[in-house]
Amino acid sequence: MTMMTLQDDLTTAAAKGNTADVESLLRRGAAVNGVNRFGRTAVQVMMMGSWPVAQALLQHGADPNVADRSTRTTPLHDAARTGFVDMVRLLVAAQADPQARDNQSRLPVDLARENGHAEVVAFLETLK
Amino acid sequence: MAHCTSFPYEPVAEIGGGAYGTVYKARDTESGKFVALKNVRVQTDQNGLPVSTVREVALLKRLEQFDHPNVVRLMDVCATPRSDQETKVTLVFEHVDQDLKTYLEKAPAPGLSSDRIKDLMRQLLCGLAFLHSNQVMHRDLKPENILVTSQGQVKLADFGLAKIYSCHMALTPVVVTLWYRPPEVLLQSTYATPVDIWSTGCIFAEMFRRKPLFCGESEMDQLGKIFEVIGLPQEEEWPTGVTVSRKNFPAVKARPITDFVPEINEQGAKLLMQMLTFDPLKRISALNALEHLYFQDEETSNQDETL
Ligand SMILES: Nc1ncnc2c1ncn2[C@@H]1O[C@H](COP(=O)(O)OP(=O)(O)OP(=O)(O)O)[C@@H](O)[C@H]1O
Ligand SMILES: [Mg+2]
Repeated sequence: MTMMTLQDDLTTAAAKGNTADVESLLRRGAAVNGVNRFGRTAVQVMMMGSWPVAQALLQHGADPNVADRSTRTTPLHDAARTGFVDMVRLLVAAQADPQARDNQSRLPVDLARENGHAEVVAFLETLK
Repeated sequence: MAHCTSFPYEPVAEIGGGAYGTVYKARDTESGKFVALKNVRVQTDQNGLPVSTVREVALLKRLEQFDHPNVVRLMDVCATPRSDQETKVTLVFEHVDQDLKTYLEKAPAPGLSSDRIKDLMRQLLCGLAFLHSNQVMHRDLKPENILVTSQGQVKLADFGLAKIYSCHMALTPVVVTLWYRPPEVLLQSTYATPVDIWSTGCIFAEMFRRKPLFCGESEMDQLGKIFEVIGLPQEEEWPTGVTVSRKNFPAVKARPITDFVPEINEQGAKLLMQMLTFDPLKRISALNALEHLYFQDEETSNQDETL
C-alpha cells in the first residue's frame, strides 16, 4: 500500500464527485493543480457529471487546459465525449480551449458528434 | 482466464478501496475513453485460481453477451500471478461519469419529477430483474453503485462480484454503509436476491426525500430505525437461529410510509411497502415490481420500448 497524499485524496474526491471533500481538502491546503501519484490533476479526473466539483476546483484556480500525458485528452474532450452539457459550458466559461486536439487529432466537438451528443455539438459549434 | 498481455489502460485516480482490492478510474489509451479497473486479489493453490472464481468470471462474461442496457459493460478480464499464493484478477468495466448520488444532489429543488423517478426506477428494476434471472445478486446496491449517463440511462455497477470477494479475500476491516442493508443481512440470517429489492426500496424513498431513509450507525441502530417505520415484526416472522433477539427492540407499530415520503403517490407507496417487507420471501420480486400498477399509471407518458 502506498501512502495517500493530500493530492491523491483531492483527485479521489473529485473522481467520486464528492464536493464537500473537495472543498475541505482545498481548505486544508491541497494544491488545486497538483498531481496525484498517477501524474494527473483533479480537473483531469473529476466526475464529469458533477459540475459542483468542477465549480469548486475552477473557483480555486484549477487549470482546465491540462492534457492527459499519454493521449493529450483535455477535460473538455472528456466532457464532450460523455455528453455532460453543463460541464462543457462550465469548462468553456473557465477558458477551456475548444480547439485542443488529442493525440488522434480530434477536437472536443468531434468526440461529442461521434457519441451522438447533439446539444453539446450545437453549443461547441457556436464558439467557432 | 487470459493473462494481461496487451493492457492499454492507465490508472488516473483511485475511486474505491474495499476489503478485496482497489478500484481505479483509468484511461484506455487506444480509444481515449475512461474505464473502471477493479483489481481483486485472489488466493491460489497448486491448481491455480479457485474453481468458484473461474465460474463467477465465466458467469459475468456470459451475462455480457446479452448486452443489457441497464448494467455496465464488462470489457476485459485478465489475471496476473503475484506469488504462489496470490493472483491479481483485473476486471475492466465501461466507465460512467455520474452516479445516482451526484445525480440526486444536483437536482434543483424540489427534486426530481415523479416521471423522472418512475423512469429511473423502471430502468433500475430492469437491470435487477436481468441479474436475478441469471442468479446474480448485487448485494451492495446503493446510490454510488447506480450509474446514470448524461442521457439519463441507468447502469448498475459493482454486481456479481460478491462471491468472488467473500470466498477469497484477505479480509481487512472496512467501513461499509449499513443504510441500504435489509433486516436479514443485519441479523446475519440467510439471504438471496431479495436483498437487492430492499436496497431498491430504500433508494426509491431517497429519490423523493433526497436524503437516505434509514441512517443507522450500527447494525442494531439500523434495525431500530427500520422498525420505527415498518413496525416491529411479529414473533413468527423473526428468523430462527439468529443471535439477535426480537426482545431487544421496542414493540413499535408501523407508521404510514407517507409520513416519511410525503411526495410519493398512492401506487408508489404500495410498491414501496412491498419492497420494504421484513420477510424476504414475502418481498416483491424485481419482475413483479415491474408489473406493478405504479408503472401503469397515467403520469408515465414515455412508455419505454426496450428498457
Ligand atoms: N463502471 C464504473 N463506472 C464508474 N464508476 C464506477 C464504476 N464501478 C464502480 N464505480 C465507482 O467506484 C466506486 C467504488 O467502486 P466499488 O463499489 O466497486 O468499490 P468498493 O471499494 O466496493 O466501494 P464500496 O464498498 O463503497 O462500494 C463506486 O462507489 C462507484 O461510484
Ligand atoms: Mg462496492
